[in-house]
Amino acid sequence: MKPLDDLRVIEFAEMVSGPMCGKLFADMGAEVIKLEPPRTGDEARHHPPFPGDVPHPEKSGLFLYLNTGKKSVTLDVRQTAGAEILRRLIADADVLIENQRPGHLESLGFGYQALHALNPKLIVTSVTPFGQNGPYRDWKGTDLIEWAMSLTGYNTPTLVDDAEKENPLRAPGHPAEMMGATTAAAATMLALRHRDLTGEGQWLDVPCWQSTLNTAKVEMAAYSYKGVPFSRLRARSGAGLEPLACRNGFVYTLWTVDAHFEALKELLGHPELIEGDLFKTMKGRADNDDVIRTTIQAALLNYDMDDLVSRGQALGLPIGAVYTVAHAAEDEHLKARGAFVEIDHPATGRLRYPGALVRLSATPAEFSRAPMLSEHTDEILGRRLGYKPLDLRALRTAGVI
Amino acid sequence: MAKLPLEGIRVIDFSWIINGPQTALWLAAMGAEVIKVESKVYLDYMRVSPAAMADDIPGPNRSGVFHNLAFGKKSVNLNLATPKGRALAYELVKRSDFVLECFPAPHTRKLGLTYEQLKAVKADIILVSISLLGKTGLQPSDWVGWGPMAASYVGMFDAQGYPGGPPRQTGGTWPDYAIATAVVFHALAALRHRDRTGEGQWIDASMGETIIGEMPEWFMDYFMNGRDRRQLGNRDDVMAPHNTYPCNGDDKWIAIAVGTDGEWNALCAVMESPAWTKHPAYATQPGRWKNSAEIDAHLSQWTRLHDHLELANKLQAAGVPAGPVLDSVEVHQDTHLWQWGYWWNLEHHEAGKRVLPGLPVKFSAVPGFNLSSPPDLGQHNREIFGGLLGLGDEEIAKLMDEKIIY
Repeated sequence: MKPLDDLRVIEFAEMVSGPMCGKLFADMGAEVIKLEPPRTGDEARHHPPFPGDVPHPEKSGLFLYLNTGKKSVTLDVRQTAGAEILRRLIADADVLIENQRPGHLESLGFGYQALHALNPKLIVTSVTPFGQNGPYRDWKGTDLIEWAMSLTGYNTPTLVDDAEKENPLRAPGHPAEMMGATTAAAATMLALRHRDLTGEGQWLDVPCWQSTLNTAKVEMAAYSYKGVPFSRLRARSGAGLEPLACRNGFVYTLWTVDAHFEALKELLGHPELIEGDLFKTMKGRADNDDVIRTTIQAALLNYDMDDLVSRGQALGLPIGAVYTVAHAAEDEHLKARGAFVEIDHPATGRLRYPGALVRLSATPAEFSRAPMLSEHTDEILGRRLGYKPLDLRALRTAGVI
Repeated sequence: MAKLPLEGIRVIDFSWIINGPQTALWLAAMGAEVIKVESKVYLDYMRVSPAAMADDIPGPNRSGVFHNLAFGKKSVNLNLATPKGRALAYELVKRSDFVLECFPAPHTRKLGLTYEQLKAVKADIILVSISLLGKTGLQPSDWVGWGPMAASYVGMFDAQGYPGGPPRQTGGTWPDYAIATAVVFHALAALRHRDRTGEGQWIDASMGETIIGEMPEWFMDYFMNGRDRRQLGNRDDVMAPHNTYPCNGDDKWIAIAVGTDGEWNALCAVMESPAWTKHPAYATQPGRWKNSAEIDAHLSQWTRLHDHLELANKLQAAGVPAGPVLDSVEVHQDTHLWQWGYWWNLEHHEAGKRVLPGLPVKFSAVPGFNLSSPPDLGQHNREIFGGLLGLGDEEIAKLMDEKIIY
């Protein structure tokens, strides 16, 4: 028994935000029926990486990861017959996940009021760049834009020396869309609980930008509580953290609290320059961060990464290695944890994938492969909704499915 | 007023700093009774961090970061280093649905907060453990660390930077926030499972694993092609131009992301089609993608002349995906955020009037969030130890003297 195996989810979404939300439901056991545009399918099918860098709609690493465990039905909902199919799918669904631009569903006759009338228990989870109201509602958002506007985006990379050369960067992948996806998934679970208690469905407005801005609590509070504008520039921000070079790579550590500072000094053989009373308090260290940083940086260059990490951790110092993705993918601890899973797929064969975002002991996420385009159209429309082979052929000819 | 969805659910929250508190904030805001167990022996770092003390005056109830992470919760003191403190903690656990903790594994064992130990106290408990790299596996399961160390370990910081450059840090403590919302989803799935079957469980969440699952392009490229992508700056897999560009002013930037020919033509029109844009290679998406460095250099010369806020509006009006890189002052002044309902006003007895972000979701059928004032240290000692555990006033006073409720 899986925690969500009694739920039916309709996913009318492309690329990352909506599909990642749908994936979380599928991996926890829900039946997720993914609606894709006929012929082209989800835009993510055309996004790299591809094996051998050869584009193929069944081989996108991004698509294959984001759509594990789902069923694919192609549907042109702009056509009358397509809209009728969507109405019938909605009628007995628990959740509709969608990431169309605001107003698009309404223009198709599926605004929230219409959906609610079709199925009052339905939860409609709308994941968009900026939300369903406000002046940016109709702005075109992309992951980069949502991220860059989010303050966490302004602060990436942290500790900038040369503002001219170091422009704000997006984190690797689609970080803002991912944050919207997990926020949408959490909110949908809350709405399901509300429905289970009251019988009432509802509409969730989940913006990726606001979800990402919510990760900048320190930066927001610094302004709201101290009136100090947050700056990413090292010269203005004072203390901060970043990867530091050692003899054969980089490590990440910190020296904010007393115990950690003492452990770090011990690890580095008590560099003389940071022994004074000036550095004994948190405030003293923050005020003299440049001296500490320079001294620690110079000392770290005398040691190797693995040596620093193992001795530092034994001293109770938060210190870790800075690895590359390839290193992490072969790391024995991550492998022992089951951080990666193997999934077979007819188009690509067996491949490793990132595993669960979060591990549950009794009901762990279970993964099965992403669907081929339209793989489940006949199953859902034929067996579930009762369309005859002749009907299906007609729908196909008309380009509805 | 309708009930909040988690009313009647009790959470004993031993967590601190960011990842656990942000998880618990969701549960508290949605109606769960979250009892934050903390101690004067070692205060939550967010109560003492100088980053956002109200008016720069230190005090455990004045930290803006703490307020941002703790509204809607209750606070009790317990010294878990003492056997009596741990026994009282177990009494709380017996009466709760969830336990949250984010200590390093050796501390969890020492404090008696492992799943085996808590399951013996309450059979159907759902224990949420959040850690750097998980609490099972090899040696790193015992490490101490902060979110950014998880990002370092799994390759995120190596992939965060300018092409060919050193690893850089993603803003703030991204992994803590990234894992919190993912944990909320999974914790509520576990609650649903418990309600259907009576079975509790252990959520052993690793910040490293959340990060891995949120940068699939990098890992799938390695698994498919053996390629280590490393730093790509702002380069996208498909879109170009796709970058942040300098604007008029001090450290002001605009993000522009062009996917289609239509968006490119619209951008050129806003620029009044200077000669460089007519290069035949730029007419198609693959051509723009191949020549993105050149395009970026030209584009920067133009964006530099403009105000980032005005230019974003102008580009969006023309159908070009663009957005201003906002700083901490600008997000507080942003009309969209106020109209959408992102902020709420806290009236705090020590910190005064402050603006805080709520949850980044609008629920049409939930009346609002629990926005009760962030608790003072130990504010609910009498309510919880007296009311919930039934201890008398004298007993509570004695436990305070003995530095158990401390």
